[in-house]
Amino acid sequence: MENDNQLAFQARQKRLDDAIALGKPDRVPVVPLMSHYYATRAAGISNAVAQYDIEKRCAAHREMVLSLDFDSAVDSEAIFNGKILEIMGMTHIKWPGGTLRDDEPFQFSTTETLKASEYDDFLADPSGVTARKLWPQMSTALAPLSQVPFPPLYWASGDYDLNYMLPGILSAPPMLDMLKRLVAAAEEFQHHKAVVGKETQELARLGYPTVFGGVTLTAFDWVGDFFRNMRGVLTDMRRNPEKLLATIEMLIPATIQKPIIQARMSGVNRVFIPLHWGGAGFMSNDQYERFYWPSLKALLLGLIEAGITPIPLFEGDYTPRLEFLKELPKGKVAGHFDIVDRKKAREILGDTMCFWGNVPASLLATGTPDQVKDDIRELIDLFGDTGGLIIDGNDGIPDEARPENVAAMVEATREFGVL
Amino acid sequence: MTDKLIEAFTEMEEEEVLRIANEMLDSGVDPMDVVDACKNALEVVGKQFETGEMFLPELIMAGEMMDEIAALVKPKLKGRTAAATLGKVILGTVVGDVHDIGKNIFGFLLDAQGIEVIDIGVDAEPAIFVEKIKETGATVVALSGLLTLAFDAMKATVDAIQEAGLRDQVKIMIGGAPVNEQVRSYAGADAWGQDAVHGVNLAKQWLTGGE
Repeated sequence: MENDNQLAFQARQKRLDDAIALGKPDRVPVVPLMSHYYATRAAGISNAVAQYDIEKRCAAHREMVLSLDFDSAVDSEAIFNGKILEIMGMTHIKWPGGTLRDDEPFQFSTTETLKASEYDDFLADPSGVTARKLWPQMSTALAPLSQVPFPPLYWASGDYDLNYMLPGILSAPPMLDMLKRLVAAAEEFQHHKAVVGKETQELARLGYPTVFGGVTLTAFDWVGDFFRNMRGVLTDMRRNPEKLLATIEMLIPATIQKPIIQARMSGVNRVFIPLHWGGAGFMSNDQYERFYWPSLKALLLGLIEAGITPIPLFEGDYTPRLEFLKELPKGKVAGHFDIVDRKKAREILGDTMCFWGNVPASLLATGTPDQVKDDIRELIDLFGDTGGLIIDGNDGIPDEARPENVAAMVEATREFGVL
Repeated sequence: MTDKLIEAFTEMEEEEVLRIANEMLDSGVDPMDVVDACKNALEVVGKQFETGEMFLPELIMAGEMMDEIAALVKPKLKGRTAAATLGKVILGTVVGDVHDIGKNIFGFLLDAQGIEVIDIGVDAEPAIFVEKIKETGATVVALSGLLTLAFDAMKATVDAIQEAGLRDQVKIMIGGAPVNEQVRSYAGADAWGQDAVHGVNLAKQWLTGGE
């Protein structure tokens, strides 16, 4: 039995690797990138409980993977741990059991944390601005950092200062509270990681490989999501283009290094990159070429050079950008598509990268099993001969997917996917 | 001067727009003429957005410049009444969904086309849509959503409007990244907007009596 599982693990791993390398796997793999609340909903667990009870979440997740028999373990870490969110007092994230109703999914509600006039400050002292300006806006636990004068760390680079200054600063009551909350968050994280880690090992032992071992953002999205927000980052393209570009440039190495470290620690050399602002409508191709593509390309090539397979999730309609993606090395990038003209993607990228995803959430949530099967068949007819097709919803498994439709997605892949 | 103002506006030269507008106002030009020139420019931007010559950054810049001009002329326009609008659209992100970017872009575009927008915000319960239809007599309702839970929420909203006996009085459109014909049919809406521009054209058609 143990041996069978090991063989199944290797077979699934190879199936996914082959598809990514455009190497014609034994069968088209069906690999959902992630599931937010689908598994727990199917098990009758509320979103609020899923958010807070990591043991229940992991058990439901395992049940989903085993019963549907996907070609991977599916990522279960896409939703945050409610207890840690609460202790950290995260202000831009709303979650069930926190500020949202029990049946709602967590959602981001970001604000502008860095003003256009503060780009220079950030470029001059990114760590200092992060600690004193950004963190206090993002987390109530870290709010004291904006109230208590906290000097640059190098001021305490002498023995006398370190021994006197650091305990002195941390002895202020708000700072002590902050430390206590951080300790509580870290302890909660230890527990969380232990449960998730055990679950990952268990699924691997049962034959299901982890999809990705790290997550990163591309530099433009980092600025747009967390610093400047939509209005800020898009108007910066007009008002402050040089500062925006300088900040993007400065962030590139971190976008590459972070996931390399994560991948080394997890032992899984695939990295997930959700892409937010590059789709059609947000900007022109000229703007994409100037502001978005160079840092994304640098990130993808940087990961490939480190022996890692990037899994960019091209959110939004990516049809106008397909020609850019053609510049990437063949069979090295696992392109996951949200909304795209399939035929154009086949025509332009068929010999460059695999085609992963793109089964509409609307179909999985409101369609019938027959409609789902037709859609899988269409994908296999279109991409089968490239050897690089991977079946999934456009953004993993939607929370509202009908279980019979998810089952139909798996069945159809098995039925039509041997080429 | 008016031509220069329009040119600077459509070229997205923000400082130049404000400089010319100030100069015009200082030299005694009717503030309404300044506003009208900017509205003309805004229409050009809207058209170029529609044809894919301009994109979201330009649209947002145009909105910001328009706000700046409005703030500039407002003190000089006291007592004047607002121009008539093409009609009213009730706009909101459906219950359970707190995303507002798509909704706001759409609202801005409607506004730029002379359509009065009644924005009821995010996470809007079906009952609020019903109440607003009764209160304002609006004939077009636009439901926005980014999450997949919005499919059911959109359906619930359309159902609530039906149950309130108001379904025949309004046309309902839905929009948002995951929305398509399948969702339209599921929710029972009259149309779905492929993007904001498509939605605006639908609203214009509906408000001027088209099907």
